[in-house]
Amino acid sequence: MATAARPPSLRLGQQDLKCRTGCGFYGTPQNDGLCSMCFREKFNDKQRKLKLKEREAGLTPGASSSGAASGSVERRSPQHGHGRMEPPKKQADKDSENSGTLHKKKFTAVLQKTLQAGAQKITQQRGYVPDPTENQFLLQLRQLRIPDDGKRKLKLEIQRLDGDIRKYMNGHGSKNIDELSDAVQNAYTKVSDIVHNDPSFEIATNEDRDSAIDFFEKVVMTQNHKFLFSPYFTSDEDSDVKVQKRIRQLSWITAKHLDCSIDEVNSEARDLVYNAISELVGIDSYYSPQEKLQCTVRCCRHIFELLKRATGGPASADDFLPALIFVVLKANPVRLHSNINFVTRFTNASRVMSGEGGYYFTNLCSAIAFIENLNGESLGISSEEFEALMSGQQSYSTPWESALLACESLHLISENMKRMEELQKKNTLISSGLTAFEKELIEFQREVTERVDTVIAKAPLTLLPIKTPAFLIGQARAQLQTDPDTGHYLENVVGECTLTSQSIIAGNDALKSTIVTEESGLSLKDTSIGSVGRLSPLQQNVQPPDNLFASPIFNYAAFDAVSMLEERSSEGTADVVMLGTDFQGGLTNINYDFDLSDQSGENSTADEAKLNLDEFDPLVQKSAPNRKPPTALPDTSLLDSTMDSLIDSEVPGTSVLLPSPLKPEVANYRGFSNFDIPSISCNTGDFSSLGHDGVPPPK
Amino acid sequence: MSTRNRPRSGPTLNFKAVLLGEGCVGKTSLVLRYMEDRFNSQHLSTLQASFVTRKVNLEDGRKAQLNIWDTAGQERFHALGPIYYRGSDGALLVYDITDQDSFQKVKSWVRELRQMRGTDIALIIVGNKTDLEEQRAVMHQEAMQYARTVGAQYVETSAKENEGVTELFELLTQLMLEQLSQREPDSSPLRLQSPDTDALSISEEAESEGQGDPNTGTHRSCCGI
Repeated sequence: MATAARPPSLRLGQQDLKCRTGCGFYGTPQNDGLCSMCFREKFNDKQRKLKLKEREAGLTPGASSSGAASGSVERRSPQHGHGRMEPPKKQADKDSENSGTLHKKKFTAVLQKTLQAGAQKITQQRGYVPDPTENQFLLQLRQLRIPDDGKRKLKLEIQRLDGDIRKYMNGHGSKNIDELSDAVQNAYTKVSDIVHNDPSFEIATNEDRDSAIDFFEKVVMTQNHKFLFSPYFTSDEDSDVKVQKRIRQLSWITAKHLDCSIDEVNSEARDLVYNAISELVGIDSYYSPQEKLQCTVRCCRHIFELLKRATGGPASADDFLPALIFVVLKANPVRLHSNINFVTRFTNASRVMSGEGGYYFTNLCSAIAFIENLNGESLGISSEEFEALMSGQQSYSTPWESALLACESLHLISENMKRMEELQKKNTLISSGLTAFEKELIEFQREVTERVDTVIAKAPLTLLPIKTPAFLIGQARAQLQTDPDTGHYLENVVGECTLTSQSIIAGNDALKSTIVTEESGLSLKDTSIGSVGRLSPLQQNVQPPDNLFASPIFNYAAFDAVSMLEERSSEGTADVVMLGTDFQGGLTNINYDFDLSDQSGENSTADEAKLNLDEFDPLVQKSAPNRKPPTALPDTSLLDSTMDSLIDSEVPGTSVLLPSPLKPEVANYRGFSNFDIPSISCNTGDFSSLGHDGVPPPK
Repeated sequence: MSTRNRPRSGPTLNFKAVLLGEGCVGKTSLVLRYMEDRFNSQHLSTLQASFVTRKVNLEDGRKAQLNIWDTAGQERFHALGPIYYRGSDGALLVYDITDQDSFQKVKSWVRELRQMRGTDIALIIVGNKTDLEEQRAVMHQEAMQYARTVGAQYVETSAKENEGVTELFELLTQLMLEQLSQREPDSSPLRLQSPDTDALSISEEAESEGQGDPNTGTHRSCCGI
């Protein structure tokens, strides 16, 4: 009001700030421009008068709406203090007349005006800064899901308590914080009673009721935080200073002293401790007790998380309290006692008596109590040592402090070291895994070898000579001669097969037999161990069954391919001749088969024979190269060289057959023998035929 | 002060019980066991074991919230006890039947509690670890007798074998309920409406609190806070 009228340039003069009584001390707006001394003197006087007036006027609750004289002034500002003489603007309305006169009586016009103006100015400035404004609360009130009727009642209660608190604070001489606290608690009870039992709240849900109560508490406490937080007539501030100093003295305490499981060096643990600390420190920055409690809860949850990691299970109070004490010690929060007392006095009692927030808050209280009362015994050290540490005579170093002091790089080093350790661990793990795997492999190999050996030992492969009855040979030869023209090796073969099969048995053998028959005179006996056969043990294996030997016996001795080849070359001629003689086309194919059969049975019979078998066909060459190139070469050479002999050797029919060689098809062969015969290119046929042509029969 | 000690903010029944006893007697195990029966272990693993709440259904159909506060058992924290049991409705005094010292500790707790809180707190003395019967150091009879002299209940449990744990907490709830109904006239909101109640009406009120008042009844069923 006065502010507006005042020229903006006007400043408060030195004298304006002095006590109105002229005692020479500075006055404050809160004290109506009086210094504290004068204020107190006047105080009792005013107090009595005011009380009287109140009694007369009574508190008309609805009055607040009028807001008459002061209108815009925030009622929560501390400046209401000077309503002592002149009842705070809003309350003033209630008993407007009386206070008005009172007001006028009190102050000399000029001085009062200036002071008031100054006060007003400050009030306004402050009004904007710190508080969640009234508007905000009004908005929240509107958002509460309770009936309008209820809202009105709630608002009324808020205003009433608000007024009461102000009145108390500005009121009588001897103030007792417990009285105030009780008054507030009673108001809570009353509100809760209203909310739960008043008909206007009937349709509200329980949650809404609770939020209404919460709202009530929050508004009143936020608005009166300035009065109620660490009031001047309590010793809160002293306790704050004391405990802060105490904690500073106790900075040498380590987690070990407290017997708590916080790892001070572990960076992860430290981070969690930091989180807890920052929450704990943050308590001071909230206005309402609820928020302070929530802050405590968050702090404690961090601690529990920390403990869970350290101990691996749900932490019990035995672990928790020491950890909390540790955190409080390291955090050293400001205004600790003021905050604690503010909460205990002015929050809804049920909040600190139950629920998670209550539990943690209680723990915080006991942590502080412990810190204030601890001695050497409670830390597990001698009292002398304790004294020495407390007085700073004994130097100390804690991991925590040193970690705080140590420069960043050192910290980094330690962290890197840790990481390296982890990597190393992983590395050893991998290498050990590798070794294990290697061992396993070796073992596996050994096992396989062993098993193979045993199997071999159990069933040695013995290659026995194929015995071809003489008469069969004769027969075969006869047959060959009878139908030499059969360009169709198939038929030939088949026929032979049947013949041979009778004598020996299996299809494979038939092949051999055919060969045998073909070779008849020459190298039938050969047994055709066939160099080829030797070359590939597989074939040997395959054969036994054909031979029908119960336990096939392989002749490993003969395995040396090269030697075989050589042998062949020498002996091959004969065989080749044989081939040539009969029917090249068919034979070639057949020959191939022979290779397989040869080895088995024929080994025994005669070395020469083997050679023959392999060589007589160019086909063999082809197929052979796949298996073993070296063999092939000699073969061809053999063929070439032997061609003459080949032709000669066998029957004149060869010439007749010559044209046929092209025909041979792999397919036929397959069907023919039981074996899987690798496809053979037809070219070979040409070879042989050529050879046939060009070479004069050796015989 | 007394006003503040009354934790009822409204009609929700809210009980607070503290666990007292020397370290290693199994306080935490008891709580864990009790919670495990009703909650899956997964739920527990996300929590801590020092503070638990459970909603219980009372026999008369009401619901109540049971807050169990664990305390640190180490000797050096003994002096902090009052901070915890201030305003609690019940206390479980746990000792280890194989450890005579822990029983002596219980006795000191009882003295302290009776001195500080008088009779408005329900006491149950709990002999834990009955699974170690062969090492028993405190006779059942002895403990029973002592409990009787101090007006406390006596229960033996084995948190390990899950013996008597549920019964223990049921008994506790029952006792606290009785305690509440005795104290009700002093602090209940109902008192505001009928401040002058004599002994007779007290019991009536306590009863009516359960079924009578429709308003309170509905609030309770919701068990809001």
